[in-house]
Amino acid sequence: MLGSSALSSKISKAHRIDNYTGLPAISGEELAARLKAHLDEVGAEITDKQVGAVYAMGDYFALQCGEEMLEASSVIVATGVVQAKALEGEDRFLGRGVSYCATCDARLYKGKTVAVLGYSADSAEEALFLSEVVDSVLYFPMNDKLPEERENLRVIREKPLEMIGENNVTSLKTDSGEYEVSCVFVLRDAVMPEKLIPGVETDGAHIKVDINMKTNINGLFACGDVAGKPYQYIKAAGQGNIAALSAIGYLNEIKKEV
Amino acid sequence: MIKEIKNNDFNAVENAKTAIVDFNATWCGPCRMLAPILEELSEEYSDIGFYACDVDNNMELAVKYGIQSIPAVGVFKDGKLVNMSVGFRPKEAMKALIESAK
Repeated sequence: MLGSSALSSKISKAHRIDNYTGLPAISGEELAARLKAHLDEVGAEITDKQVGAVYAMGDYFALQCGEEMLEASSVIVATGVVQAKALEGEDRFLGRGVSYCATCDARLYKGKTVAVLGYSADSAEEALFLSEVVDSVLYFPMNDKLPEERENLRVIREKPLEMIGENNVTSLKTDSGEYEVSCVFVLRDAVMPEKLIPGVETDGAHIKVDINMKTNINGLFACGDVAGKPYQYIKAAGQGNIAALSAIGYLNEIKKEV
Repeated sequence: MIKEIKNNDFNAVENAKTAIVDFNATWCGPCRMLAPILEELSEEYSDIGFYACDVDNNMELAVKYGIQSIPAVGVFKDGKLVNMSVGFRPKEAMKALIESAK
């Protein structure tokens, strides 16, 4: 189990939950404590790691956690739902002037001007890295962290609205101007499911699942908010139960094949 | 087997009926994950030529084919680029891409 040993902050913040069967009118904090106690009771450990990407390799999955690569036979995705809304043109130009990874794609923009939309905590650092590779960086801060000063890095406090271009991005439009750039690096903390798991079929912010919590990728299951509405704990718990049984079924099936 | 493109030499691809070209780089994580999948597929589709093109060493080709994000896997028919898949894709999806090129 990969994630945060402090569980989701969402649950502790819930004032009162009225429809969790058997635990009427329980506070979010108490429900979180009960869930934690349940985990301890069955000896389920949480490993504090953030998964950057899940690669479906065919007969196994590779989970990238920072520099580390973990392997699994089956994966259950229970990330909750990401509320970030894509900018106009973001999806259309992905891979053609929209990038989510500065370290991955920086070198493709050697000698060019790029924009960085800095939503995540480490965006400022990523922007510095970019400034060493590309010709110049236009930095749009979306939080209060700013990169150190560099001659080829300009901080612009405007609200990005749209990526513009024909085949590739040629400029970024803001609420008060337009800037010619070859690429817009959108650096967010929360990763949309199709970016977390390349190739997974989604419907907006949700992963598409069938009634057994199966996704379009063999051996990959999803449950809870990421699998769709309603966003309720009781529904998430039920889907978790189904996903776990489906994953066990899948593991038994592949064992037989070997 | 995957053959490596060197010195921007694209002759083999241009002369092949069907060729799959994986534009990649050594520093790109998703590229490293995609490489073994393509290696497996190259064994399964031994009648199709599979090529790896490191964009750092073959900048001219990367520019010519408008590579803006890697990995990018191009399908070439009679030397012409007919389809391009950008980013890591699961093995099944890569297989479908190759099937569509047959």
